[in-house]
Amino acid sequence: MQLNRFLIAGAALCMAGCVTSHVEDDRETTTGLGEGESIVIMAKSYHQGNETEADYITCIEKALRGGSKGLNVVPHQTFVDELFPWFEPRTAPADTKGLPMLMKRPGVSEAIKDLGVRYIVWLDGDTERVAEGGSLSCAAGPGGGGCFGFAWWQNDADYEASVWDLVDRESAGTVSADVSGTSFLPALVVPIPLIARTQTRACKGLAQQLRAFIVQ
Amino acid sequence: MEMPTIPNPRMEKIPVSVAVRIPAEFEHFVHVEEVLGKEKWTIDLGRSNASFFSQLFDHMFDSTVILKADDDPRDYQFDALIEPSIEGFEFSVPSQSQSDAFAVWIRYRMAIFDSVGNRASSWTVSAYGKSEKEGLGGSDSLRRAAVLAMRDAAALIIMQMEKTTKIRQLADGPLAPSEVAPDEMQADAEAPPESSEPESVIGIFAIGGIDDAAE
Repeated sequence: MQLNRFLIAGAALCMAGCVTSHVEDDRETTTGLGEGESIVIMAKSYHQGNETEADYITCIEKALRGGSKGLNVVPHQTFVDELFPWFEPRTAPADTKGLPMLMKRPGVSEAIKDLGVRYIVWLDGDTERVAEGGSLSCAAGPGGGGCFGFAWWQNDADYEASVWDLVDRESAGTVSADVSGTSFLPALVVPIPLIARTQTRACKGLAQQLRAFIVQ
Repeated sequence: MEMPTIPNPRMEKIPVSVAVRIPAEFEHFVHVEEVLGKEKWTIDLGRSNASFFSQLFDHMFDSTVILKADDDPRDYQFDALIEPSIEGFEFSVPSQSQSDAFAVWIRYRMAIFDSVGNRASSWTVSAYGKSEKEGLGGSDSLRRAAVLAMRDAAALIIMQMEKTTKIRQLADGPLAPSEVAPDEMQADAEAPPESSEPESVIGIFAIGGIDDAAE
């Protein structure tokens, strides 16, 4: 009997942590961040259909800044405002071929130099619910209430970060994170949520790999 | 509502002295719309639009004077007169788009006159803004989407106004009679998806305070 309880508890713990992740990079040039140099994290334009969440960008920024080897990260809104209107969703360069022309615009290269930005990291992708199932019903009456049933859902987080070197005006490469997580919600009177933190895992994985990619 | 501000653009000022005439309906616009027959949205952008465009033209041109609706332009000296107006406003909420985002489309018209009142050009600018839903109501998200659409319009105007309207030429004096009354121009990179939107989202634009009251 006690063995069964341990098995059930073990299975529940496993289910709570059932997240699979795959992070990889594809390098095109050597990178490195010198003294006083910084990076900026940007979302690719929603004019091109990108739906990267604002909180994911904030998470990546925080993760890269944090720790003893934190990078200098310029807040993306500061960067966009300082370079207005050249990094708006409609006007931002779609690829590195547009960088030389952009740098010739009045005040653009000076603003980038003042901010110390060496790399722009363009984020593309989002977290989506791809499957769900089960059923859960709750009822309440004068004597109390409760829920019974079982529900589950699966979220997939696919993100790609393209790193542009503003000094050499070329693409340095890409880092991608593909994370899948399944959450469960069993209920026997009281619901017990076993949530897979898919997006958080994708943030940590991508940030860790990005830091290694940029600093080498 | 806090007035939206526009950053100082990285561009060379256009050497033209302009007057900007703000029509009353541009400055005070309230839009009320019922979405899918249940959510009533009231959009009051107040002076935000006028304030935003006044800042924009002040950044863009050598000198700018803002005229009120009842000011007589003949009392002022300028090379060109710009009169912005709003031709259309559309929005979508998450329950319509089946996403987590609010989206706003604004269609502006920029009428440009020379110093003696001849129409030099009439230019349509279509802008788009999108913001993720945050909080329970959505008022702040819709307001942010509207401000992003205004900012999108500002970026378009900075990039294309001189080329499309040839406003710089008006610094050399009024138009010759043969140059008056040009065709309408479209300078929008992305037309709002009028045909794909449900009829219920078609509306007229505004900015100031946005209240959503589910009824």
